[in-house]
Amino acid sequence: MGEPLGADEQMKYVTFINDKKFEIDIDQDGSVKVNGKPRSVDFLHLNASLYSMLMDNASYEVLVEERDGGVEVQMHGRLYAGKVMDERAVLLAETRGELGEASGDIIIKSPMPGLIVLVKGAVGDVISKGQTIVILESMKMQNELKAPRDGTISAIHVNPGQSVEKNKPLLTIV
Amino acid sequence: MVAETQRKDIRKILIANRGEIAVRVIRACRDLGIRTVAVYSDADRTALHVRYADEAVYIGPPPPRESYLLGDRIIDVARQTGADAIHPGYGFLSEREWFAGSVTEAGLIFIGPPASAIATMGDKQTARETVKKAGVPVVPGTDPDLTDDELYAAAASFGFPVMVKAAAGGGGKGMRAVHNADDLPEALNLARREAESAFGDGRVYIEKLIVGARHIEFQVLADTHGNTIHLGERECSIQRRHQKLLEEAPSPFMDPDLRRRMGDMAVAAAKAVGYVNAGTIECLVDKDKNFYFLEMNTRLQVEHPVTELVTGVDLVKEQIRIARGRRMGLTESVLEPKGWAMECRINAEDPYNNFLPSVGMISTMIAPSGPGVRVDSGVYAGYAITPYYDSMIAKLICWGDDRGEAMLRMRRALEEFTIMGVKHNVPFHQNLLNSFSFIAGKFDNKFVEERFSMTTFEENPSEEELESAAIAAALVAHRNRQLAGQVVIRNERDTSNWKWVSRWERMNK
Repeated sequence: MGEPLGADEQMKYVTFINDKKFEIDIDQDGSVKVNGKPRSVDFLHLNASLYSMLMDNASYEVLVEERDGGVEVQMHGRLYAGKVMDERAVLLAETRGELGEASGDIIIKSPMPGLIVLVKGAVGDVISKGQTIVILESMKMQNELKAPRDGTISAIHVNPGQSVEKNKPLLTIV
Repeated sequence: MVAETQRKDIRKILIANRGEIAVRVIRACRDLGIRTVAVYSDADRTALHVRYADEAVYIGPPPPRESYLLGDRIIDVARQTGADAIHPGYGFLSEREWFAGSVTEAGLIFIGPPASAIATMGDKQTARETVKKAGVPVVPGTDPDLTDDELYAAAASFGFPVMVKAAAGGGGKGMRAVHNADDLPEALNLARREAESAFGDGRVYIEKLIVGARHIEFQVLADTHGNTIHLGERECSIQRRHQKLLEEAPSPFMDPDLRRRMGDMAVAAAKAVGYVNAGTIECLVDKDKNFYFLEMNTRLQVEHPVTELVTGVDLVKEQIRIARGRRMGLTESVLEPKGWAMECRINAEDPYNNFLPSVGMISTMIAPSGPGVRVDSGVYAGYAITPYYDSMIAKLICWGDDRGEAMLRMRRALEEFTIMGVKHNVPFHQNLLNSFSFIAGKFDNKFVEERFSMTTFEENPSEEELESAAIAAALVAHRNRQLAGQVVIRNERDTSNWKWVSRWERMNK
């Protein structure tokens, strides 16, 4: 079995966990630096997404799963959400402006399959954060979907009585 | 009554349910050496109750109306498989009097109360009238079948706030609290719609809302030998939109005198309808310890394990024993529970996003264990939560010598509980167990909705924890990249692996 390409180089990763940024360098021999400071890490794969990590004798049972382009880490009864990018990915994201604030439009998507019971409002209506905009029936419950921020409804993509799949765009807020 | 009682043999039981409660019933059957038959819909071929039963029979498409609610079909399956009895679990057919009646007419044993008791208690109005005659206090309320105008007038006469409830109700479906007259028309519409979709019966009625009340219920057991007892109370005030989230036994609000008085009331209410088997009397208790009968659930409850842990009674085994026509194990009410038990309902709901249900594949599930910990669940890693049924993943039940020990065990167990792939409410329970009001036992049935926030007691992760998570994430990304890299290297034999293998095979001919 040959050596991976670039194995003689240090790999640099930019990792965001709960929106906090860490620069993590991993050497060929597996040694780790965080923001330039060396860390002694013993990291073993146990099964599936379960890992055991020992760091300065502190023991962590960690689950790491990649999902929807990001990463979820479960550790000590807490779930962390983040993203790991290598240097190339960071550059690409910067040019696309993806690391900045979310742009103006927000598309409200269906969080689960269900039946649209009601769309509260019409195109052009001004809505405020927390206001119920759609009622979606699923899992035997009428679920109220609320506006994530203040704005104006610019488009409605569904009608009451319509069955929707998960992630179906319901309406757009500008 | 005693004279006509006879012992009936039960060698095989069909469980007319799914999920954790079906698994719970199967376990009791296994303890008793009774064979089990599961039924399942298209959505449940790989569900745990199917895997765990001795036999499993397909009954239809995922929507409950086309499978788990098809009583006649389920009775046919029981006949075909030679089952002697049917256990309905909770929900679905458990409180349909016609089903209990049809099971009995088919010559099978219904593991539950007589159809007449289900009928009386199932019609909330008749239930109220019946228990009132037995001297049980009830909350002021209306009949169902009133016109909207009559309902508006009744609400005004009780004074707001009032509660809109489904006549066929249970489990919080079709229930709405209404705080002023303007909101009443919309609440009636929503409640009717929910009731129609959940029970196929859209009738609703109105009750006065007792403010600052606790929801406390009593477990009762009755056999065919004339014994009716209670097994103490369960505190169920921790709810959101009338869905219970955490239950405990005993209640921190209880005192021996109140337990004796409420227990006597519960036994009187059960006797008033000729109750047999396990049932629950739900009550509201106000700040001054006045209590009101709400309803009787004529079935096993979701939260039955907390009673089991503080009484030592296996309620499902007891149900089967009673259905067999035997005398139940305990014939005296339990006035002093042993220790303290608490149950957290672990649901696929996002507590950070308005408790929105989450569907999808459970990618990882590591259940807690160790002293004083019990997990009742119907799911496993690799199982997909579907939108057809409720969102419960598991019930985590902890026991301690006192409330403090039970809470500390629950905190430990919640930290051990690892579920990934769907959003779930473990963080809600962790925050709840950190809240001073909950720890002090000072809460009512509006606590979660009105005075609890996910952020008040949530500690932000430390810098060190964030860094550890970041290191783990980066190392996994690095590992995956290297594994991918090795595949690339293999292909560098200037030809594909498949071609390389076939050349190698030719060389060795």
